[in-house]
Amino acid sequence: MSIYAAAFGFGLVSASVIAIAAVGFTMQFGITNMINLAYGVVMITCAFAVYGLNQAGVNIWIGLAAGALSGAALSLLVNRLLYAPFQRRGTSHIGMVIVALAAALMLSNALLAIVGPENVSYTMSSGGTVGAGGLVLTSAQVAIIVIAVAAMAAIHALLTFTRIGKAMRATAADPTLARTCGISTGRIIDLVWVITGALCGLAGTVAAMDSGSFAVSNGSEYLIVMLAAVVLGGAGQPYGAMLGAVLIGETTELSAAVLSPEYKQAVAFAILVLVMMLRPQGLLSKTGALEAPG
Amino acid sequence: MSSGVMYYLTTVLVYAGVDIMACIALNLQFGVAGLVNFGFILFQAAGAYAAAVLSMPPEGANGGFQQYVLGLQLPFPLPWLGGAAAGGLLAVPIGLVVLRRLRTDYQAIALLVISVIANTLITNARPFLNGAAGLSLVPPPLGDRINANSAGYQWLYVGLTALGCGVVLAAANRIVDSPFGRTLRAMREREPAAAALGKNLVMLKMVIFIAGGVIAGLSGAVLVGFIGVWAPATWLYPETIVIFAALIVGGRGNNLGALLGALLVPVGFEEVTRFLPQVGPPGLIPAMQWVAIGLLIIGFLWFRPRGTLPERRRVFADPFPGGAVRAQGPVGRGSEETVSADRARPLLAAERVERRFEGLRAVDGVSIEAVPGRITGLIGPNGAGKSTLLAVLAGTLPASAGRILLDGADVTRLPAYRRAQRGLVRTFQLSSEFAQLTVLENLLVAVPRHRGDSLAGALRGKAYWWADERPAVLRARALLARFGMSAQESEYGGTLSGGQKKLLEIMRALMLGPRVLLLDEPMAGVHPSLVEKIAACLESLRDEGLAILMVEHELSMVDRLCDPVIVMAQGQVIGRGSMPALRRQREIVDAYLAG
Repeated sequence: MSIYAAAFGFGLVSASVIAIAAVGFTMQFGITNMINLAYGVVMITCAFAVYGLNQAGVNIWIGLAAGALSGAALSLLVNRLLYAPFQRRGTSHIGMVIVALAAALMLSNALLAIVGPENVSYTMSSGGTVGAGGLVLTSAQVAIIVIAVAAMAAIHALLTFTRIGKAMRATAADPTLARTCGISTGRIIDLVWVITGALCGLAGTVAAMDSGSFAVSNGSEYLIVMLAAVVLGGAGQPYGAMLGAVLIGETTELSAAVLSPEYKQAVAFAILVLVMMLRPQGLLSKTGALEAPG
Repeated sequence: MSSGVMYYLTTVLVYAGVDIMACIALNLQFGVAGLVNFGFILFQAAGAYAAAVLSMPPEGANGGFQQYVLGLQLPFPLPWLGGAAAGGLLAVPIGLVVLRRLRTDYQAIALLVISVIANTLITNARPFLNGAAGLSLVPPPLGDRINANSAGYQWLYVGLTALGCGVVLAAANRIVDSPFGRTLRAMREREPAAAALGKNLVMLKMVIFIAGGVIAGLSGAVLVGFIGVWAPATWLYPETIVIFAALIVGGRGNNLGALLGALLVPVGFEEVTRFLPQVGPPGLIPAMQWVAIGLLIIGFLWFRPRGTLPERRRVFADPFPGGAVRAQGPVGRGSEETVSADRARPLLAAERVERRFEGLRAVDGVSIEAVPGRITGLIGPNGAGKSTLLAVLAGTLPASAGRILLDGADVTRLPAYRRAQRGLVRTFQLSSEFAQLTVLENLLVAVPRHRGDSLAGALRGKAYWWADERPAVLRARALLARFGMSAQESEYGGTLSGGQKKLLEIMRALMLGPRVLLLDEPMAGVHPSLVEKIAACLESLRDEGLAILMVEHELSMVDRLCDPVIVMAQGQVIGRGSMPALRRQREIVDAYLAG
């Protein structure tokens, strides 16, 4: 029994990490129409930026803020320098996906040239353990869950209650119409990249904290797990991404406990394939991945 | 030649052959058919693994230091054929999951995810294909008869690779140059329009996905026979990006471009860096190589998006100099069928058809008919649901409720392409030309039951299908002459004016030989002189016995051509009859005609 409870606890932590990443990614897609395949690389780059600060003696909790900041800056830069010019030219969706993949390749190898292929870990104390009803988590893990919940709440508040959030949703629905309604879509899109970039950097840092040690090659792993959560929830749907993250996080950890850790990815993969066959639009979306009619 | 140089040369040649095959395969999928296979390398890997376990001895043979399935020790060329088959077979389940309903960009992402996860699975599941360590000591083909380390064997292998390449290239050329290739390109350019012309998109995608899988599998088999080892580290997903880079640099859609790209990117890059001085820490140069490949992709997409050797424009030589092309004559399917049709019975009938979008009833219980020999007009204010109704009738959108009968048969559940094959053909409100096909090709795509419009027909070569092609070209040229567009025959569809695109679409629909024609604002944005031509053509089509349903805002044209006329507002039919009768009805005038 307790092994499942422990696995459930780990699943919550994984879900938290994935949720932060997946919400950022899905907002980029939903609002700017960009499938940013460089997202995983930006995550790991931010994790390394925090590692640099951490080595210089900066506390990891301050490092988290630096991770978010570097993610925001890097994402804004990638969009301004690369994606936006191609989008302005009217490059097709598929063209943009290829551009993003090329960007991911360049960024990850540039990072590899700088930091090398070795695994590194943060200098941090995991704190004491917290136990409740069979769940045993370190205080660092509890902190990750709290950060994720806070970030989700903040995104929810932003999209629902603020004018900026409404402007973002308007831009997502129809950029031209949004512009004619007096919304400065250029600034909104910059802001989207800053906010989602911050989520991306934050996600990279907590993912690195959670996994203990990390290397450049983890970037693509982050990307794949997050894509699974996004597809599961329905692309462009922040709440779907949260749901997808919980499902992927819990099923991978629980199946690792029930079967064996080797089948972790296989189970996540099976769920993904099932969803693509039975509900290709994702759990919480009406159109999402389906072909546009007409 | 020193033996070192010789071995180097043969190795480079075999690698070049493998990369050429891979690039050709991806060119068929991505360059020609527009299928973004981000999982491409998985199919090469499947071929390599299959060829390895088919040629290797049972797993205990080498002291059992590696674990794997099969171990059949089959003689050459069976492992190569098995590799090709494995690539094709793997494409079936993956294609069925990914290609049926997903949007194009999602397909790309799904294939990427599948490729990455498959690699993780093979890495972790040791008993299947020896896990992370991979397979080694794969016997070289014919190695039991010829010493595999001899110079003669090296050149023999180069020869066999070249043979494989030659076969692949010949087959790919036949596909690209055939009516089937033309259909694939039409699908790449605009999927809904291709479906509206009777093309089964899912089938087309599956066929080319499997064909590409077969070639990719063969390339893997050739490679593993030469290098003797295969492990998950050799087929990580960035390898797929290299093949994409090769196509983007070389020129997608063009087999020669794919060949050039294979020589420039995977082969050229690898070899150039081999001769660079070793600078910096180990690993720096490979990392920079990947950065350079990324830069190459982005640079080409920005400065030369169609590649070094772009897809070439296909111009048909004139087989009848002197312009002996008939400019007149029936343009529908030979008149004998349609004229004899019963003119009183409706050919197309919709019964209480509904289409709901979430809460909105865009089409709300509409019953209409289209009768042979008449042009039925469909008018109403913007947002009345006219275009949605047309889309539901043609099958572009499924009906939420109601029945649609074509010549008495229920077609409500049939997909758009099946309805088009039965003679129910639509045009689109927004121009929907195949931009990178010439005007003539745009028309030829629509030809039904063309012998060259299938993979098998294409592979049998031009001699097999030319008998269908020539009359089709003549018919297309007759149509072009009738609409005064002969001069534009070899221009790309994308370069036409808005009005010309409308004409092109009508001609394209006529090439199909329709029985029922659904026209969505055929005269919107068309120059007045062309409007007259379209009107005259529609009149003669009507007199030939075609049933036409036409959405149009230009009321003078509706007055002239349409009888009866159906008025729609807010998803419902609010009136029907002749135009003069409708003009006398107060509520209809208020709802639409006066506005």
